[in-house]
Amino acid sequence: MAVTRTVPAPGRTRRRLLGESGLDTVLPYLLLAPTVFLVLAVLVYPMVDGLRTSTGFYRFGRRLREVGWDNYTDALHDPAFLESIRTTLEFVAIAVAIETVLGLALALLCVREVRFVRAIRGTLILPMIVTPVVVGIIFRLMYASDVGLVATIARTLGMSPPQILGQPHAAFGGLVLLDVWEWTPLMFLILLAGLQTLPVEPFEAAKVDGAGAWRTFVDHTLPMLRPTILVAVSLRSIDALTTFDQVYVLTRGGPGTATQLISIYGYQTFFQFQQFGYAAAMLIMVALVVIALAGAALALMRRRPR
Amino acid sequence: MTTTSTGRIGKSLPGPRPEDVPEPSSRWERFGRPAGFVVALAFAVVPLLWMVSTSLKTNREITQDGTLVPHSFTLANYHNLFSGREFGSYLTNSIVVTAASVLVALVLGTHAAYAVARFRLWAGAERWIGFALLMTRIVPPIVVVVPVFLLAQRFGVLNTKLGLIVVYSAFNVAVVVWMMESFFREIPVELEEAAMVDGDTRFAAFRRIVLPLAAPGLVATAIFAIIVTYNEFLFALVLTSTPSAETMPVGAATLIGRINIDWGAMSAAGVVGALPILLFSALVQKHLVRGLTMGAVK
Repeated sequence: MAVTRTVPAPGRTRRRLLGESGLDTVLPYLLLAPTVFLVLAVLVYPMVDGLRTSTGFYRFGRRLREVGWDNYTDALHDPAFLESIRTTLEFVAIAVAIETVLGLALALLCVREVRFVRAIRGTLILPMIVTPVVVGIIFRLMYASDVGLVATIARTLGMSPPQILGQPHAAFGGLVLLDVWEWTPLMFLILLAGLQTLPVEPFEAAKVDGAGAWRTFVDHTLPMLRPTILVAVSLRSIDALTTFDQVYVLTRGGPGTATQLISIYGYQTFFQFQQFGYAAAMLIMVALVVIALAGAALALMRRRPR
Repeated sequence: MTTTSTGRIGKSLPGPRPEDVPEPSSRWERFGRPAGFVVALAFAVVPLLWMVSTSLKTNREITQDGTLVPHSFTLANYHNLFSGREFGSYLTNSIVVTAASVLVALVLGTHAAYAVARFRLWAGAERWIGFALLMTRIVPPIVVVVPVFLLAQRFGVLNTKLGLIVVYSAFNVAVVVWMMESFFREIPVELEEAAMVDGDTRFAAFRRIVLPLAAPGLVATAIFAIIVTYNEFLFALVLTSTPSAETMPVGAATLIGRINIDWGAMSAAGVVGALPILLFSALVQKHLVRGLTMGAVK
């Protein structure tokens, strides 16, 4: 299975390698030290520092006084924060739902080893490799009300070109479509790998029984694929919750606050308004949610039988 | 239902399997599936082609004629990127930063993963340290970006490639340990022991026996790390400010910020920004899917 890994029973075999010479008692720590130091310095220390930042009141980037948990309670009463949370959740729910359905459809379409299927799979995953900033550029070129592809096609058909990035609902929909374009391939890859490891017997049996394609799908494919779908949905949701690059290039959160995801709101609070403490508090709350989700997803994966 | 299947869907094993036998006169196989392929391919490729097409038109054609494919084929938009703007140095910076940070992460990470996979550690750390390292990667980058900025400022590595390399190395090393640990665990200890009995040092046994066996894992991990690192935007945006250190995504995004309606330049910047990583993916395509799906755990 693509996204799982094996956790072997703790080592009967491993023990035999241990403690034979004096060097072996310190060697593993020497090997680990640079990695652990690097991660502590660059990732863990900043998180702790972020916690400290979140209890201060800043103006123009200077810490003026301690405010304890006030930033957190303020955030929970801040309509802009709550709205950006709602926008983010809506974005994640709609985009991931569409990506799951399309990804599953694509996986079923491409699972059989027909002619050219390898080249087709290779082409279908292109969007997830394209630099996210460039994905933002691509969709600006698609949506531009004067020169975009959508507008050009509309004009060719004799319709007036739609204002996609200028209207709140259309811009939000446009962002969802961008995400669907970019990340359906990931869903597709994970679910394809899942389909490829399903046992063959149930399908043979179903065929013998004369079950149609749809019945086979509902009775066999879907239930057996459920764990993989669950993993794919969690992974994608975790990632989608902090979408930033594409929005930064496409809309910067606009028009108004229609596409102001929490990462964009946090970024602006940090860098434009320089309210470091408040931004840190908001983002830490988001981080906690993400970590909880990720922990649940990983626990789910580890429990799975191979 | 047992799972001792002899064949698995989608893998080529000898012998006839039900999914290889075409359902006779199946309209789905003759029309449905090919039609599905066409629609899916169009959805994936048309936005990319539109960007390429726009980048090859003159600005006059883009804004006034509204054509689908370029009639006034021109490379002027690309020429401008590399002469008037600093795309040459963005490209160099991206390559240097990506290569260096992935290399550092692979060297440090494989050794750390080996320690975790082969030794008993204090407090049973060998069981949770890979997981703990991975969790640091799951924290949204936006949460740590400002403290990292202040730290980089203190050490004077703001707006340098070195600063980016250190930060990306930390990101990548966590992933490398997580992935390589499981690969090392699958390699039987007996192989190393045999080599050590024959007179190899542990280090030599690691180099000669373990690393070659783990090569597929190393390749997949490297591919994943290279794609993610090249594409990274937020940290590069915050930690760099001039073309001497800015990477391709930052260069493209800041260009977009400065020009608003120069669609030719914008599309050319998009093509140039994505081309290196797409070319790289084409080069490693045999291992690409493995790298991408393993890396699904970021």
